[in-house]
Amino acid sequence: MKIVIIGAGEIGYDLASVLSSEKHDVTVLDREKESLSRVSDSLDVLTIEGNATSVKDLVKADVGEADILISVTSIDEVNMIAGMIGKRLGAKMVIARIRSDEFSDEKAPLTPSDLGIDVMIHPELSAAHEIAQLLKRSAASDVINLAEDRMQLIGIRLERNSPLIGKSLNEYASMHSDIKFRVVAIGRRGRTIIPNGSIKLQNYDQVFVLAKTEDIPAIIETTGKKETELNTVMIAGGSDMGAMIARILCSDPTKKWSIKLIEPDYDTAEELAIELKDVMVLNGNPTDPDLLATEGISDMDAFIAVTDDEESNIISCLMAKHLEVKKTVALVSKPDFIPLAQTIGLDAVINKKVAASNEIHRYVRRGRVISVTELRGIKAEVIELQANEGSKVTQKPIKKLKLPEGCVIGGVLCDGSVEIATGETEVKPNDRVMIFCLPAAIDKITKLFQ
Amino acid sequence: MSIAGATNLNRAKIDFLVVLGVLGAFVFFMGFALLLPAGIDLIYGEDTWHSFLFSAAIAFAVGGALWYSFRPKDELRIREGFLVVSLTWLSLSLVGALPFVISGILPSFTDAVFETMSGLSTTGSTILGGTTSDGFANPQIEDIPKSFLFWRSLAHWLGGMGIIVLSLAILPLLGIGGMQLFQAESPGPTADKLTPRVQETAKLLWGIYVAFTFAEFILLWLHPAMDWFEAINHAFATMATGGFSTKNASIQAFNSAYIDWVIIIFMYLAGVNFAMHFRLIQGDRKAFFANREIRFYTLVIFIGIFIISGSLWVIDNYNILDALRYGAFQVLAIVTTTGFGTDNYEIWNTVGAFFLFLLFFTGGCAGSTGGGIKMIRWMILIRNTGREIKQIIHPKAILPVRIGDQAINQNIQRTVLSFFILYIFIFALGAFCISLFGYDIMSSIGASIAAIGNIGPGWGDFGPTDSFAGLPYLGKWILIMLMMVGRLEIFTVLIIFSPAFWKQ
Repeated sequence: MKIVIIGAGEIGYDLASVLSSEKHDVTVLDREKESLSRVSDSLDVLTIEGNATSVKDLVKADVGEADILISVTSIDEVNMIAGMIGKRLGAKMVIARIRSDEFSDEKAPLTPSDLGIDVMIHPELSAAHEIAQLLKRSAASDVINLAEDRMQLIGIRLERNSPLIGKSLNEYASMHSDIKFRVVAIGRRGRTIIPNGSIKLQNYDQVFVLAKTEDIPAIIETTGKKETELNTVMIAGGSDMGAMIARILCSDPTKKWSIKLIEPDYDTAEELAIELKDVMVLNGNPTDPDLLATEGISDMDAFIAVTDDEESNIISCLMAKHLEVKKTVALVSKPDFIPLAQTIGLDAVINKKVAASNEIHRYVRRGRVISVTELRGIKAEVIELQANEGSKVTQKPIKKLKLPEGCVIGGVLCDGSVEIATGETEVKPNDRVMIFCLPAAIDKITKLFQ
Repeated sequence: MSIAGATNLNRAKIDFLVVLGVLGAFVFFMGFALLLPAGIDLIYGEDTWHSFLFSAAIAFAVGGALWYSFRPKDELRIREGFLVVSLTWLSLSLVGALPFVISGILPSFTDAVFETMSGLSTTGSTILGGTTSDGFANPQIEDIPKSFLFWRSLAHWLGGMGIIVLSLAILPLLGIGGMQLFQAESPGPTADKLTPRVQETAKLLWGIYVAFTFAEFILLWLHPAMDWFEAINHAFATMATGGFSTKNASIQAFNSAYIDWVIIIFMYLAGVNFAMHFRLIQGDRKAFFANREIRFYTLVIFIGIFIISGSLWVIDNYNILDALRYGAFQVLAIVTTTGFGTDNYEIWNTVGAFFLFLLFFTGGCAGSTGGGIKMIRWMILIRNTGREIKQIIHPKAILPVRIGDQAINQNIQRTVLSFFILYIFIFALGAFCISLFGYDIMSSIGASIAAIGNIGPGWGDFGPTDSFAGLPYLGKWILIMLMMVGRLEIFTVLIIFSPAFWKQ
């Protein structure tokens, strides 16, 4: 597939890297030489220096022939105009990063389709929603909703005192035969394992379990963790993400969160204080131990560090963890830091680039892919596929299918009811199937469904 | 009147002739008002019409001459605006005092100005029915001609009308007064859009004011104890939150629960922001009932009634209905700064009397005809204090002061704080000055708060059954100034005494 990416910033770089490794033809256009050379030095992509809103430069990038045009500069207006021009030039699909939420309203005078934009993405907002989601499942490091929220995939880190240490997955399953669940992936010391039944669980394993949403609390209990309700949250950093998380939590209809937000810039802090009346906004440095102490960080249920400085996010989360805050979440963008952060004990790391590539992936994959979610920190993906009439997957029960290496079928959504897959499950045409696999197996598995 | 930025750069910052011209226009129109009591006299035939006609002639001549000679060619500047607003109340009080002096009803010019200022500022303190410091016995209220009774009430009514427009349309432009707090809710006026806006706003608000007055007039007239003349006078005095009555014993003279409750209801309405009445009439019921200031105002009134009526019932052995009626009436009369009386609160039990004394420091809503510190300022002061306490616990927190969901600008918080300090300071200074004439503490405090709060009756020698006649003339002038300063939200007048105001 031919893909043009406009903007070689954080998100553009990450997309280019993911898409080029999946053997797509990627062209990256940016105004700044420096960002471009970072791309061309490390990735197998074509780079073009030019202005995103210049027709001449867009023609030079051959936007007219592109299957997908992705505009992810940091400026909404530039992405809109690039998208409009791209569509006119003949790009088949246009994806633009639009942060403003005023265009997504149905009654908006100007809608994305007016601008020729097929898909709007907002990585920060997706990441903020993900964090809010994590706060509702205190024991989990990852929460991914699947099949219209009827199934959840949760990631849990096994602590030393967990009853599961040393047990094989088969033993684990027979210990709790009353609950239907499936361990679909294990992250262990930076490696990713798509497990079979005989693998034994170890200390600090990151276990990914798929189950029906209502069974999740019971699953969490089996790992020796307790699902405690979180009520008090401290958010470090009030720019973009921090403010969004605060807004999402404030509008939570199920309960009233007690929120403290720390923002170093006085003007930003004042604006937030005026806007968010249920949030106590503090003006200070999020890594200042005195401030954290006077504001009672040790009494907090959760600490979320989302400043632009990812090192300080990790440090302040570690500080919080040390003070026995139940749940710590850090915004970390450098891929190298992500497994590290989990190893040193942070409960969850959030990466807005992953959020962006998740959003974009589903439009890039061939076949009848419904959604794709990358799991953080481990190299596996969750794909939701729909089985075609007469495809191979519909012909035999799962255990007789020759599934490619590094691949597991987790659940099946059939006529609106969800089911955790077992060896005997038979996939019927038009069923939606939740699959967990390593990136290398994606192409092989999608073929089974065609 | 309109205020705008510099159009003529050559002009001085304060042009007194322009100020005189505008004042002339006000005085000229006061002449028309003076003709109305002359009309009343034609009905009652007490032969006082010539003093009103003569006063009107003076107003027309002086006002007309000033207006014609110095009519402003440019728009008023902000500083001229301050001068005009302050001097209007003073000059109209001087003109309004003329009939009292010309007819010889009040031989002292000071007393005449006191009575008129008390009327125009909607205070309601009277010098009638007492003996002056130089031994002259002023007539009883019921003994003066009907035309003069009407003139006192009309002064209230016009003053109330003036204050609505002043507080809702003009003071916000000068950056003063409680109403600027609500500017965030309505688009702020700009210099070029101002004239049509002020006029339109004024018309709408006056329409509501007139309609309420008329409704109260009808309801009072329905009662056999009141004739049409008394009904109209009391309607004027209620809607302006004034307090002049046509009876020596104020509302008590009618001894009717019906009249008491009608006046209670209309005092309540007069103490509400008239912009909110307008919203209510437009059908925006939510805006009215969600308005935090109205809620707070109502809450204060209910707490007052609960404590005071309760104390009358339990301690003073009133029967429960009477306790409610007299308690509610006096709470409304003091909170809205009307100052009518149905009962002598000075002989109440200490609990009730003391709580009523505290209510002397409240006041109605911003944008009402009521005076005093006003509810919105109290709300901001209370929230601000709560904020300060919270700030000590969370030194780094940014804690906006909110009224409802709206965060209050820090400038406004500062203004409110300095208003409060000035109000208390001037009140204390006034009380101290009155004490110099040999009055006891309660009398001095009562006279000062009754004047600066535009309430009317005070305490001790100036209680609800007493007259201000006995106060020496200098003391009367002090109270006249206090009434004006209180009515014009302090800053408007005080700014004129600051050196910076006069620097070119």
